[in-house]
Order: sequence, then C-alpha cells, then structure tokens
Amino acid sequence: MADQLTRARLGGLGRRLAGAVFVLWAVATVTFFAVRMIPGDPAEAILGGPGSQTSPEALAAVRAEYGLDQPLLLQYLHQLGRLATGDLGQSYALNMDVGPLVVSQLGGTLVLALLSLTVAWLIALLLATWSTGRGRLARQIGSGLEIVAAALPHFWLATTLIVVFSIWWGVLPPISTADARGLVLPVVTLAIPLAGFLGQVMRESLTAALESPFVLSARARGESERGVLWRHALRHAALPAIGLSGWAFGSLISGAVVVETIFARPGLGRTLLNAVTVRDVPVVIGVVMIVALVYILMTVLTDLASRLADPRPTTSGTGAGA
Amino acid sequence: MPRPGILRSAPRSATLAVLAGTAVIGLALTGCTSAAPTGDTATAVEGGTLTYASGDAEPTCLDPHVGGNYPQALVSGQFLESLVSLDSDGTVIPWLADSWTVSDDGLTWEFTLKDGVTFTDGTALDAAAVQANIAHLQDPATGSSTGYLALAKVTGTEAVSDSVVRLTLAQPDSALLESLSQPWLAIESPTALERSQDENCAAPVGTGPFIVDSWVKQNAITLVRNDDYTSPPADAAHDGPAYLDSIVWRFIPDSASRYAALQAGEVDVIDNAQPDTITQAEASDTIVHLDAPRPGASNRIELNSGKAPFNDAAVREAFIRSANVDDAVASLFQGSAARSYSALSSVEPLGISRPDLFDYDPDAAAALLDEAGWSEKDSDGYRVKDGVRLTVVFPVSTNQSIPAEQSLFEQIQATAKETGFDVQLTKLDLSSWYTALGSNAYDAVSAPYTKVGPDVLRILFDSAGITPAPSGYFANHAQLSDPELDSLLAQASATNDADTRADLYADAQDIVLEGFYILPLYDQQNHFLLSSAVEGARAMPTVSTPAFYDAWLTS
Repeated sequence: MADQLTRARLGGLGRRLAGAVFVLWAVATVTFFAVRMIPGDPAEAILGGPGSQTSPEALAAVRAEYGLDQPLLLQYLHQLGRLATGDLGQSYALNMDVGPLVVSQLGGTLVLALLSLTVAWLIALLLATWSTGRGRLARQIGSGLEIVAAALPHFWLATTLIVVFSIWWGVLPPISTADARGLVLPVVTLAIPLAGFLGQVMRESLTAALESPFVLSARARGESERGVLWRHALRHAALPAIGLSGWAFGSLISGAVVVETIFARPGLGRTLLNAVTVRDVPVVIGVVMIVALVYILMTVLTDLASRLADPRPTTSGTGAGA
Repeated sequence: MPRPGILRSAPRSATLAVLAGTAVIGLALTGCTSAAPTGDTATAVEGGTLTYASGDAEPTCLDPHVGGNYPQALVSGQFLESLVSLDSDGTVIPWLADSWTVSDDGLTWEFTLKDGVTFTDGTALDAAAVQANIAHLQDPATGSSTGYLALAKVTGTEAVSDSVVRLTLAQPDSALLESLSQPWLAIESPTALERSQDENCAAPVGTGPFIVDSWVKQNAITLVRNDDYTSPPADAAHDGPAYLDSIVWRFIPDSASRYAALQAGEVDVIDNAQPDTITQAEASDTIVHLDAPRPGASNRIELNSGKAPFNDAAVREAFIRSANVDDAVASLFQGSAARSYSALSSVEPLGISRPDLFDYDPDAAAALLDEAGWSEKDSDGYRVKDGVRLTVVFPVSTNQSIPAEQSLFEQIQATAKETGFDVQLTKLDLSSWYTALGSNAYDAVSAPYTKVGPDVLRILFDSAGITPAPSGYFANHAQLSDPELDSLLAQASATNDADTRADLYADAQDIVLEGFYILPLYDQQNHFLLSSAVEGARAMPTVSTPAFYDAWLTS
C-alpha cells in the first residue's frame, strides 16, 4: 500500500516535471520567434544599439561571429541546444553573460513582488473581514473600494503616489535608494490593484463560508463571532485567494516592468524592457525563462499551501489523482 | 556667429551672474598673478557626492570608442579627455595636446602633448599612447562607428618624439580638429586598452578628473575623484583635482520621476528635461535650468526626394508652406525651444539661417500643388493625382522624438491636411524605425545628428550617404543627390582656409534650404536641470555634455 502510494506520488512528480519542461520549451520558442519577427537588427544591438552609425564591415563581422547570417531555424535550434545545457548565452548589448545578469536582477524583482503580494494579502484580508457580516453598507463600501483598486493602472498610481508622497509631503523618495524607504511606493503601487482582486475573491468566499453549515454548528457550539470568523470561515475563504496567488505573482512581474521603470529600480522588468527595445534576444529569452521558472515554482507552492490551508480531510495520493 | 550662452536660464537662476561675479572676485583675490584660468576657487567647497540622473539609455559599454553614441559621451566625459576642446566661441583650444601644426598640403598634422600627464592606471600619456588609441578606433574588432568615421582620412601615425605624434592623411580634412574634440575620440590608457573589450567597457581608464570606481548595471555608475589630476582643458575655471569627492551616475528613464527625484533632493542634476518640467523649474527658486543645444544638425523634418511625391520640388515646398510650425512650437515647447531656419545647430558658427524660406502660407501651398498637377481632391479632402492620393508616410521614433515633438508632428499633420496632404504618422520603437528607413518606407522623417562642426552637412547631404549600409543605416534621409552640392562639400572638407571653408558651407546650405529638402524645427534640445546647491557645472562647448570638474556643492 505504502509502496503503491510512493509510486503514484513519483508518477505525479514526473508528470509535473515533464509539464514544466514543456512550458519552458514553449516559452523559449514563442519568445525567440516573437522577438525575431519584429523588425530590427540584433547586429545593431551588439554594436552599441541602433543609431550608433555602424560601419558595414563591423556589422558583417558581428553577423558572422554570432551566427546571425544563418537561417532563422538554424539559429533557433542553436539557441535551443544551448538552453538545453543550461547556457543562457551572452547578451548582445550588455557585454556580459545572460545567466549572471538575470540572477543579479532577479533579487530586486523578487523582493518587490513578494513584498507586494504580502501587502496585498494584508489589505485584502483587512478589507474582507471588516466589510463582511457588518451589513449592506459596509459590504458595498468594501466591494466598491475593491473594484476601484483593482481597476487602477500601475502607471497612474505610481505617478500619483510620487506627487503626493515625494513632492507634496516629501516623506518618501520617488526612486530606489540604498535603504528600504525607496521600496515603499513601488510596493504600494503594485499591492493596491492586486489587493482589489484578492479582496473581491476573498469576501465572496467568506460570505459563502459564513452561511455554510459548519459555521452554523460552530456558532451552535457557542463560539464567538470573532472565533468563527478567524478559526473557521477564513480558512475556507482564503483557499481561492491562495490559488490566485500563483497567477498574482505572474501579474506582479509584468507590473514590475512599469514600476521598475517609473521608480528607476534595478530588476528583471527593466532589464526585459531594455532588451526588447534593442532586440537583445538572449536577454529577452533569459528573463522570460526565469520568470516562467519562478511562475512554475509559485504554482507548486500555492498548490501546497492550498492543501495545508484546506480544512477538509485529505485523501492520500491527491497528487496522483491530480 | 557667436555661440549662445550655454546658461540660457531665466533671470532668477543667476548662475551666469554668479560665475561671472565670482570669477571677478577670484581675479581680485589672486591679483591676476596667474595666466592659467582663474576660477572661483575663493568660494569653492571641497568634497561631497553629486548624484546625476540621466534619462538617456544606460550605455552598454562605457568606452565611447565602442559604438559611439550620446549616452556614452554623457558619462565618459567625466573620466576621459580628448586631444583638443572648443571654447564657447567655437575656437579650438588645447586639452591633452598643447599645440599642433599642419603642413601646407593639409596632409600631415603634428600634435605636441601636454607634459607630465599620466592615465589613472599610472601609464604615461605619450605619442605611443595616442597612436594606440587611433589604432584602437580604426580596428574593426573594436566596433567603433562614430570615431571610425571621424578618422576615415587618417592613414598613418608616427611617434616623432615622446611628446609629438604625427598623423598622416589621405586627403586634407578641415574637420579633423573638430572631430578630435569629440568625446568619442577620447584618449585612453594604452595599457587598459590591451585588456579584453568586456573589461575595458566596464571601466575605461583615462586622464580625466574622475575615475570609474564601479558600475552596477541597471542601477548606477560610481565615479571617484582623481587626486592626481593635472590636465584640465584650456578654458576650465581652476587647476588641480576636482572639488567633488565622487559622482553617482544614475539612470531614471521616466521624465516625471526624474524631475520628482530632483525636487525631492534625491538627485542633484537631471538631463533630458522636458518642456513641462522646464516651465516648472523656471518658476522654482531651488532649481537652475541649463540650456545646451547639441552641435551638428538642427532638428528638422527631412523630405525623401528619392521618390514620389517629394521628388518634385514644388510638392516639397508646398508641404513646408502648409505646415504651421511656429504656433505649434510656441504652444508645445512653452518657450523652451526657439524656431530654427537652418540645417545646422545654432551653436555652429558656420550655420546660415533662412527664415524667408519657411513662412507658413497655405494659399501658396495650394497654388503650388495645383500647378504640380495635384489639383483634384477626393471625398476626404485629400489631393489626388492620376488616382493616387497625396500621401506622406512619416515614421516617428518614440525613442528619439520627445512627447512634445510627437505632438508637434500631429499638429503639422493637421495643418498639412487643410492643404490636402495625407500625413500618415506611425510611432515606432527605435529598431523598427531604423528598419522603416532602411527599406525606404518613408516620405518624411526626423532624425537627430550630433557632431562637432559643419562637416555634418557632408554626412547628411552628400549623395554617398544615400546608399544604405547592409545594416540599413544611412544618413542622407532626404536622399539629396546633387553633384554640385557633393563638390562643394568635398571642397569645404579639403580646404585649409577658414574663409573659403565658410563660403563653401554657406553655398552648400543654400542648396539644401532653397531646394526645400528639409523643414528645420529647432536646435537639438538638450536641457539640464540642476539643484541650486550645484555651482560651477557647465556643458562642454564640444557636444554639450555636462562637465563637473569645476563643480561643487554649496550645502
């Protein structure tokens, strides 16, 4: 029985891995062709970017050196072969290897995204618990705030926060600083719209949970309203939001492109934007691959978290059943 | 024509007055004992870190020999120096070279180097070092473009002695000194140049007042003072090391954030200030505006004379007459940009201005089009000839055209429509935009070009510049092909006589302007905003990059 269970689990793990590899291959392929299809010459990127008045001789030399004179399909296979061995290649524009570059930029974006996710969760929780079970008006206020927050575009929020907190009050820096002060505005910018999304989901499931039989029985046992909310209903209510967090993390990374540019923060988003502008294909692929990898990891983590938070009795071997 | 004051700020930003005033005080205090430039050393404060925020792209290589674009020039001017410089009148002055001579046939130049200068890695500046730099620029493996083109006529170098270097040219080059003054031809340590290109890109070694200490990509470059500095250009305000301890060079791509960072005191100097922030800054007591138009070409719309409809001079003139540029510039740039009627920047002494050719006159435009056969109009109000609509395809680079300029093009589109032009604006990122130019898929385009001296006319208008390189890059976007013009430009490039040169370039500019190949707009905008705590900063009269050698912080 135990042996069978392990085999089932391993099988599940194998399928997961195969799925992850497929996603990474698809990501690399789509990215490669997408970047190469848009007009623009990578050889220019290698020689200091478009507009640096490159001599034809230098361009020809670079095309030969980087294999850019070969058919696109051959270049793709070449790129894929290198990726398969874990080699992300050399940046066309930045005179450095993509691996160390991406790793050096990953930290900033991860800190930003994780902090934003945490703050968004806190805001959403507060809003959901405050507005639930407090009557129609509170529910409408909560719901209204969430809808507005979810609809706020990052660039607008960022600019508004800078005007209010950096220029009018002068309490927070509008750009990244060596200390943590510079993190506040970017984190809030990313957290507010996300909190709107999470809050909507959370309040809906919280309302449903509070009306369900197990809450009734808890109440019947004489639990306080607060106890019912925090000990029973919230665990239920959190489940869909946890599930959403994997997706949320992905959306945070895309939000990072805007936020890192406006707040002049080093990170993957800004790296990606610069790389696309100059057609630095290896860096674009490198960043997208890393983001995909992190996204896959987050999905696995949220999966685990859902199981931990799920109060229903676990059937063994859910991994195999999934 | 004198160069306009580099500090063209509002009266309240009394930097110019302060500079002049302190220079007088300085002279009084030192009793005029020194013939060397006397600065305001009496009030200068030593120490401190200046934070600079650039809106330009982060360079991919800090060595301006590699490639050679403006973002590189901005930062490399702090740690690299050139053989010669220009003063504010546009006269060539000594820098790393004390003096120079040219043979009568214009083919042999000898430069005598300043004594006792060493690179910051301890290597001595000598004739061999200059030779190594020219070899580096001319080596295809370096991937130089700007410097490579500037040295096109140099065929040989020779060390006459330790301190005298000789350059041999294939043809005379009246632009040689102007070319050598550019930051893309700065002199680097030959020892450092022997390192790998990646190493040299990360931290080039020069003779400048600052040294590259570290470069954290996508974040900041840290420059520290060179305590052994001895080689300021002849027009610097003081001798010896710089006042600042260090400079932190940051990249803040968003214009509003950049200005907010300056207002919040997080940074001391920003570049690429936009018209709206310039207007705000002029109303501020704590921010100073430094207007430093770039040399070379003016910003202009180039009309593609290589194909219909602009292969007809009358249609080109009609387009120019139909575009209401003045009103649009006045409203969109809020006084921060003056209208240009020249092919060259207003800082170019040899530029000529022809306001008479560029009046907004829709009636004249309509008459010209009627006469040229574009007399019918279709149901949308656009002119037609032989069933073809009068269309002007106008790709716009969102990287090179600031938002105000993009709006200007939209207003030109609107006014030209009244006369019957269908101007099709497409906003493109830089790579796509170059591709559109390379495939000749444009009728009008606006492309900046920065270079010291009127020789830029040869790059932009010589018929040789029509042939696209394999990259698709070519500079003669107007596709102007005129043997008379080619000949004038070649003669101007070859002559040693200053007056003849000026006359030849004047004739050449007349051909360009009277042929309605371009619609000049304004100088290449280059605005810096400085915290009022920064004193003594200036823009170099060469390519208008900021110089912080004489700068100090008051608080």
